[in-house]
Amino acid sequence: MKTLLIKNAFVIDPIQHISGETMDIAVRNGKIVDDVKNPDEVIDAQGMLTLPGGIDSHTHICGTKVNFGRYMSPEDMRAGRTSRKGDMHATAGYSVPTTYGNSYRYSRMGYTTLLEGAMAPMEARHTHEEFRYTPMQDCLANTLFDGNWFALQAIQDGDTKRLAGILAWYLSAAKGFGVKLTNPGGTEAWGFGKDVSCINDPIPNFDITPLEIIVKMIEANEMLNLPHSVHLHCNNLGKPGNYMCTLDTYDAIPDINDKRQSLYSTHVQFHSYGGSSWNDFCSKAEDIARSVNDKPHIVIDTGQVMFGKTTTMTADGPMEFNLYRLYHNKWSNHDIEMETGSGIIPVVYRKKNLVNAIMWAIGLELALLVDDPWRCILATDNPNGAPFVKYPEVMALLMSKEYRDKEFETLHKSTGRRVALPAIERELTWDEIAVMTRSAQARALGLIDYGKGYLSEGAEADIAIYPIDVDSTDPARDYERIINGFSTTEYTIKRGEVVCRRGTCTLEGNHSTYWVKPHVSPAYDMSKDAAFIDGFNRYYSIRRANYPVGEEYLGRNVCMETEASI
Amino acid sequence: MKFILNTGRTIRQGKFTENKLGQGYAEETSRCYIHPLDLLELGIEEGENIMVTNVTGEVVLVALADEGLPKGMVFVPYGIHCNSVISPCTHGTGMPDYKIHEVEIAPTSEDRKTPTELLEQLGGVRYAGN
Amino acid sequence: MQEIKDMICPFCGCLCDDITLEIEAGKIVSTDNCCTIGNAKFLGKNRLKNPIKKIDGTWTDITYEEAVDTAVEMLLDADRPLLFGWSGTHGEAQCVGVHMNEILGGVIDNTTSVCHGPSILAIQEVGHPGCTLGQVKNRADLIIYWGCNPIEAHPRHMSRYTTYADGYFLDNAFRNRKVIVVDVRETETAKVADEFIRIKPGGDYAVLSSLRAILRGKSDMIPDSVAGVSKTQLMQVADMCKTCSFGALFFGVGLTMAKGKYKNVRNAIEFVDDLNRHTKFTLTPMRGHWNVYGANEVMAWMTGYPYAVDFCRGVAFYNPGETTAIDILARKECDACMIVASDPAAHFPRACVEQLRDIPLVVIDPFETMTTTIADLQIPVAVTGIDAEGTAYRMDGIPIKVKKAMDSDYPSDTEILTRIYNKMLEVKGL
Repeated sequence: MKTLLIKNAFVIDPIQHISGETMDIAVRNGKIVDDVKNPDEVIDAQGMLTLPGGIDSHTHICGTKVNFGRYMSPEDMRAGRTSRKGDMHATAGYSVPTTYGNSYRYSRMGYTTLLEGAMAPMEARHTHEEFRYTPMQDCLANTLFDGNWFALQAIQDGDTKRLAGILAWYLSAAKGFGVKLTNPGGTEAWGFGKDVSCINDPIPNFDITPLEIIVKMIEANEMLNLPHSVHLHCNNLGKPGNYMCTLDTYDAIPDINDKRQSLYSTHVQFHSYGGSSWNDFCSKAEDIARSVNDKPHIVIDTGQVMFGKTTTMTADGPMEFNLYRLYHNKWSNHDIEMETGSGIIPVVYRKKNLVNAIMWAIGLELALLVDDPWRCILATDNPNGAPFVKYPEVMALLMSKEYRDKEFETLHKSTGRRVALPAIERELTWDEIAVMTRSAQARALGLIDYGKGYLSEGAEADIAIYPIDVDSTDPARDYERIINGFSTTEYTIKRGEVVCRRGTCTLEGNHSTYWVKPHVSPAYDMSKDAAFIDGFNRYYSIRRANYPVGEEYLGRNVCMETEASI
Repeated sequence: MKFILNTGRTIRQGKFTENKLGQGYAEETSRCYIHPLDLLELGIEEGENIMVTNVTGEVVLVALADEGLPKGMVFVPYGIHCNSVISPCTHGTGMPDYKIHEVEIAPTSEDRKTPTELLEQLGGVRYAGN
Repeated sequence: MQEIKDMICPFCGCLCDDITLEIEAGKIVSTDNCCTIGNAKFLGKNRLKNPIKKIDGTWTDITYEEAVDTAVEMLLDADRPLLFGWSGTHGEAQCVGVHMNEILGGVIDNTTSVCHGPSILAIQEVGHPGCTLGQVKNRADLIIYWGCNPIEAHPRHMSRYTTYADGYFLDNAFRNRKVIVVDVRETETAKVADEFIRIKPGGDYAVLSSLRAILRGKSDMIPDSVAGVSKTQLMQVADMCKTCSFGALFFGVGLTMAKGKYKNVRNAIEFVDDLNRHTKFTLTPMRGHWNVYGANEVMAWMTGYPYAVDFCRGVAFYNPGETTAIDILARKECDACMIVASDPAAHFPRACVEQLRDIPLVVIDPFETMTTTIADLQIPVAVTGIDAEGTAYRMDGIPIKVKKAMDSDYPSDTEILTRIYNKMLEVKGL
């Protein structure tokens, strides 16, 4: 039973309402405890900012499309290579690093939990195989349902309970965590090369609209009592004028969970665009932020764009094809039968490109205009807006008006006329940054009950100790120190063990996979439903018996069992 | 006569894949399919042996007629026989020209060799224990 | 007699998962739903009973422990080891292979380099518009087989996923689906096609370019005949492609091994890209070995590259044409080799086989193969899908757990490779 004592830590722990107190943290057997006597290991964290381990609630790190991003991009692999050293395996890649590359680089930034944003259930086994080689973090996977035929059929039949039963079966079979909708209805339409433009467009071959999918999925999600809410990638991503679609979507969201949000709306920067074409493209972040401020049942993440090369990848197949027609770069597409789609193209975001400069500003505006940091999560939709290694720069931009202004001067000259950013004075505080990088994620994902996101007794000992002396650092001026400090921890501690020390991973980590298993009544148990089994074996290209992911793929794992109301 | 050599999978070659040192595989991979008019021009009957040569090497195969082939192309199932005349040059792609090799074909009175014989010629040794 | 259903066939990239096996006294006695090739694989006999080592030109039976020690010695003693094969084993074993290669500083390559390696090079240039096979089965009303012959190489492809498969959006799939076959010879598949396009050898690139020109409204520049294909037929085929609701192009090594190699595939991909401006179209390489795609997947997430990865400088280095197995052997650079689940003596050009003969060679395979005869050591293992289990990736990227039908005393590939790897770590003090 290993013990560890972290002494004199400067702790910010928003869940526990701790805002910069110097204190000791005791750890026994991977958990935080009240006290330890004669600890096996002592860390002196004097003058170091100490936070709960970072949580990324929307990132693309493992699975079929991520790996296809690697497969098709040797140029990206060449852009970041390290050799095997000590406990660390070789890594490669910049925007789509190898699994070890992702894991080590997140670890050095103090991240201990990652949510893969989009897993097609039919390819879940692949995601779990890659999780096994992402050793330094606990992993969870959002499971895609936007074009699931059985789900769409149940919605068309008006049978929300059956819909919930279907979600339950797939989540358990895929060993997934949350319900993800990517361009609901659009990915099914893409099966014949079509798309939907917003929530009221009828979906080809199904007599329903995206709005019905979204609302019914939210209801079904809550019937299952899942830890997380529906996680939505709105329709019409990336198009001028799409903010109206986003606002209409938000207006239709019911507030039906009193513990957490009813909707997690992801990478909202990509959904906050004004204008009628690329010529009059502009920011509508103010409108979106106002809507979010009015709706306590909606949580968003920003989907910040940062300049440079990256790779875009999403289940939103039609959107990637549109992007391909803009960029004329290489394009990959991968439709998943009866479930969803996906696409990949590499992009470069340029400061001197007006559209890209506006996108950059929108992400920051959202973070600064949404009043409540608990409902506005910092993320780049890694790697879509930027690789996650840019997070420290995003934090610095949000904490320093001076840094923002300095960056702004380097952008396309017309940017100022299309965005509100230069007029925004707000500078985020240390506490707000802590909320937006871990505490809000823990709450939104429903992980607080599982000991994540805080540092008091009973919590998982996932801790990030940064070489930042808060008392002597003025983030508004010392933004370089913010960037450097958040880039590399002094210590990253996972389940009570130091796994990364000043950027060097010192252990072969031992990650856990978190997955949900809702218990439903026999009437809604799809494993015994003749129509479901028959349709499955007839139209999928693999047998139902060979579909579920066995627990042997998970290794160490946490099964989050819930009692459904159906 | 000059031909283009095309090599590829056949269902019989696939079937004998787990027993490549057996008779079935030996028979299948030493076949050379030729258009009947080319056979005529070569002056041989179906079932007679031919010598296939180029700068890389030579191999004896049995000629069989296949009307599905274009004139001037021969087809040989994958295996050690055809690889005797495949050059390791990949033109910087990693892939040899398995489907487009120039070869010279002439009638021969020599016998076909089995894969084992070809391997023994190379210095290979079979395991006698099984 | 025991009957097991829903088993997975470990032969080709179709990875059929509806196989029934009958087992009697610890042996598979019959199969149901298999093609001829799969059936032969399940009923395979004559496995090697124990590890064997060639001493002074004669094979000697040895123990697994001696075999592991010998393999470690041979590989650690080399300056430029090559670990080749991998497509015939499960992903878990491939992962061990990558870790092993990291500490050896060798080259790890899989059979991709001699099948769809050029396809990957093309995908790395222009991407890959694809889909899963069920998407084709449920939606496609036009199928193109280009430079491939599924009736011989993927015998159940047409019945499970295309021509003869039922599909959700097709009332009468067999009648409503059109099949076009493009090849240099009239294969068995060509004989059942609605439209057969016979191309002169080496003419694929020109034909693809012509079709693309027609799609872009430039048919006036097409001559009466292109690589043996009449303009009339080209116009007709372009029209069929443009007006279908969902087209699926499958291509084989007829494109990758012919003149033009990856440029052929690139042109096919761009043809499909172009078609997506008119309708829905996808493209899928007909992957050969049952888990060759898995080898690409594993190597991509572990090293960043799908095949031909050289760790001699510590970091992963990838340059097909230089770091591919054929080239390393042809240059006589490689000075020790481990072959896992592959038989290069049957499939490599003779010059490469001669080099394999001249260097220390370890084979990990259940059967005596052609490569056995030129090897120095062979370690028999269980057969994945029969007495070993693990993950495989179908030709369209669907990951499938290949189950085992029975237990045996043979170690799996993962077990034996892990033993070798752990011993290497021990010897190197890591």
